[in-house]
Amino acid sequence: MEQPILLFGWFRWDILVEYKDLFWQGAWMTLRMTVVCVLLGASWGLCLALARLARPRHAPWSWMARFFLRWPATVYVSFFRGTPLFVQILLIHFAVMPVFIHPATGLLISGDLARELKQEHGALISGVVALTLNSAAYISEVFRAGIQSISRGQFDAGRSIGFTPMQVMRYVVLPQAFRRMLPPLGNNAIALLKDTSLVSAIGLAELAYAARTVAGAYARYWEPYLAISVVYWVMTLVLTTMLRRLEHRLARSDRG
Amino acid sequence: MNPIRRALALGLAAAALAFGAQAQNRELTVASSATYAPFAFENKDKQIVGFDIDIINAIAKQQGLKIKVVNTPFTGIFGALNNGDVDLVISGVTINDKRKQSYDFTPPYFAARQLIALPKSSTVASLKDLAGKKIAVVSASTADDIASREFGKTNPNIRRFESTPLIISELAGGGVDAAMGDNGVIAYRVAQNPELKTLDDKSFPEEGFGIVVKKGDKALLDKLTAGLAAIRADGSYATIYKKWFNKDPNAR
Repeated sequence: MEQPILLFGWFRWDILVEYKDLFWQGAWMTLRMTVVCVLLGASWGLCLALARLARPRHAPWSWMARFFLRWPATVYVSFFRGTPLFVQILLIHFAVMPVFIHPATGLLISGDLARELKQEHGALISGVVALTLNSAAYISEVFRAGIQSISRGQFDAGRSIGFTPMQVMRYVVLPQAFRRMLPPLGNNAIALLKDTSLVSAIGLAELAYAARTVAGAYARYWEPYLAISVVYWVMTLVLTTMLRRLEHRLARSDRG
Repeated sequence: MNPIRRALALGLAAAALAFGAQAQNRELTVASSATYAPFAFENKDKQIVGFDIDIINAIAKQQGLKIKVVNTPFTGIFGALNNGDVDLVISGVTINDKRKQSYDFTPPYFAARQLIALPKSSTVASLKDLAGKKIAVVSASTADDIASREFGKTNPNIRRFESTPLIISELAGGGVDAAMGDNGVIAYRVAQNPELKTLDDKSFPEEGFGIVVKKGDKALLDKLTAGLAAIRADGSYATIYKKWFNKDPNAR
């Protein structure tokens, strides 16, 4: 082949057209996974952050919080930040999931329901679980830093007007912390969008899977990988724009 | 010319000589995907071993070629050959017309067929019975081609994975109804797993594994072909076959 000139002649559109269904289904799957995992990851991440910040003053609550909340949460965050996501995905899909959901020997779900679940949604379930558990570990650190950045005086002020600690968290601390946490949370969402590509390893038909299938069938790499790069890029641009809008709105309400 | 420049010039000349000499009998890089027991896999000492590896070593020795085997994922193996990262591929590659358009093959060194792995309880009796069922295949493998042709390229029931161990794990975990691949590896993996059985659909064509080189690399292809014929003739092929498959090459 001669030296390629970008996008002319040598670029085989026909391959992309032939597999367009796979690409569209893949893009849709990537999008859905990202939305679900961002929501689940943020909720679970908030729980983890609160567990790590729990410091009741009086016994026995103080030591129970240490052993049953702070330490497990710390070990959890350390594990999911300290091992590769790719490894976690394979571990969850091929080792952890079969223990709980398996047609013959599932501890949680077995029989026909397990077969149905695994065959229709197996890779999706494993992928969502792995990405959620992983992103929650990172998000919990964002929440923790955000909450800790609000001065102690705010907490005391809330308590002094008769709020319970949970009410202070909900009405005083979290709304202020949220504005500071927005940029790093956006970062996490973008990382998560791209990390969905790793789930193709367990056979989930998302964008990267589509590209891999096409590359495998034709031994051509420019067309499929350039195509999905553009789609990922567009998705992250949309996400970035939405986040910027939200930041501006929060800033405005602060002034007014 | 100052001394530093002279030293540099001398060094360059020496390097040119050394590389020029090396090009005459340079080490050939062989790609093989080492997740394909018993054809190519890594042993506990991190060496790539297997039937394919013994065959290519025997051919290289017979032809006086220097080779180095590198582990390359199967999905990237033709890309590596196209890019010139590797000189040849021996990795259980089935010879077919589509691949022959882009690459050159030696005559077959192994008679291969497709084989379907199923749970013991499955009632599937032929490839046709798999219509509407979930099938795990290795991306870009012959099984992928057959499933794509039979059930549609973008059919979501075809689940593509990187390697044979993954499709067997997915089947054992209940994620698919069947796994399909080359007879040698599928039989080997199913033998390790008591919950699975194999199905040989008589409609699968007789195929062969070939060694792959870049289109038009006639010099290398001729050497490999001659080497393969020679090791068949001197009996070393039969010895290697017996070592890995525990039977005579001509037995079915």
